[in-house]
Amino acid sequence: MVTLYRPGDGPWHRLRPGRKTALLLLLVLGICLLPATWWAAGVMAGVCLACYAIPGAGMRELGRQLVATRWMVGVTLIGQLIFLGPESAAANTTRVAVACALAALLALTTPATELLETFERAMGPLTWLRLDPRRVALTLALTLSTLPVLANLARDVREAQRARGGGRSLRHFAMPFLVMALKHADELGDALTARGVR
Amino acid sequence: MVQNTVQVNTVKEKLVRDDHGPQRRGLDATDLARVAVFAALVAALGLPGSFSVFGGVPITAQTFGVMLAGAILGPRLGALSMVALLALTAAGLPLLAGGRGGISVFVGPSAGYLIGWIAGAFVIGLIVHSSARKPAAWRTALAMLVGGVLVIYAFGIPVQSVVTRLSLAQTAMASLVFIPGDLVKAVLATLTVSTLLRAYPRAFRRTWRSSERQEVDAPTPPAG
Repeated sequence: MVTLYRPGDGPWHRLRPGRKTALLLLLVLGICLLPATWWAAGVMAGVCLACYAIPGAGMRELGRQLVATRWMVGVTLIGQLIFLGPESAAANTTRVAVACALAALLALTTPATELLETFERAMGPLTWLRLDPRRVALTLALTLSTLPVLANLARDVREAQRARGGGRSLRHFAMPFLVMALKHADELGDALTARGVR
Repeated sequence: MVQNTVQVNTVKEKLVRDDHGPQRRGLDATDLARVAVFAALVAALGLPGSFSVFGGVPITAQTFGVMLAGAILGPRLGALSMVALLALTAAGLPLLAGGRGGISVFVGPSAGYLIGWIAGAFVIGLIVHSSARKPAAWRTALAMLVGGVLVIYAFGIPVQSVVTRLSLAQTAMASLVFIPGDLVKAVLATLTVSTLLRAYPRAFRRTWRSSERQEVDAPTPPAG
């Protein structure tokens, strides 16, 4: 499983995950409160550039983030240009792009496992919901380990479809894929039960 | 004849899974596994190699997975599987269509739609399994339209409107573009669930009251 994490040892990487999450969310919130004017758009872009200028993130990462969000940004921009003026459109689109780029810093500079541990700790106060953190962690780990299995199943089913001369229809893909996935779920459940998970 | 097979299956189901009535509270290991598998299934539907429906229109199939999760797992487990998927996404795994992930998707314009997946799966499960009988096609279709389209948009449009600062009406108009694709997915999900009810009823892991043969409903002796 390839995560979004990019290894490094800059200030962003050294910041503790909990604090980093809080800091980035505060920054995003601040960005969201700015008005829709030209100067606000400039401020947002400036903050974003400054955050990525810190060693460990880098402008190339920022570029990749912007490329990754190009569809979302494009759709937003077109809608804004149709309904609002160019000034609002520019500011609002910049806000969306900058908010996403800033939030992306978290995943870029923190390993997914550390983030999950942070979430688990943050969930502590939720025990009144009768949530068992260990079962939550088990479910998340199961999901991760199931992903490659299902990806392989999906590929097999698609190849079988193609071998029979079928197209890429979702309708004919869904049934065999679903049944295989459900059988896998049953087997997984039996394996867990056999290992004492109740 | 087909009807008969279903009947036999239901009886078998009853014998094998006697202790798994709909009234049981906690989650057992198989529930956890099913939650995990459906979370992974929705992620797998977002992998590259997109699907096309009715000759040529490319769609992301992830909402299709949300619909199936609600209908097959039921309200609680369906919603839980979406929570698991979104938690992993927030932790930085690129599980959404197009390899998106991280908390950035939760501050972007489509954040509301993702939260809507949780509520959507829950509502679909509620409607599909709202009676003790085997879900009829019309009920499944209704569930897909209400839970899989209406509820998801009811969460998605207001959030999108706040994030992009377009008015609600304008945002709603802009998102009309995606309605045809969602309707197609609702139809496909209905067909899939109906087929699954006949082909692999144990997928649903619950027992239904039979409409014609009441004795199926009577308490059965322990299987072994």
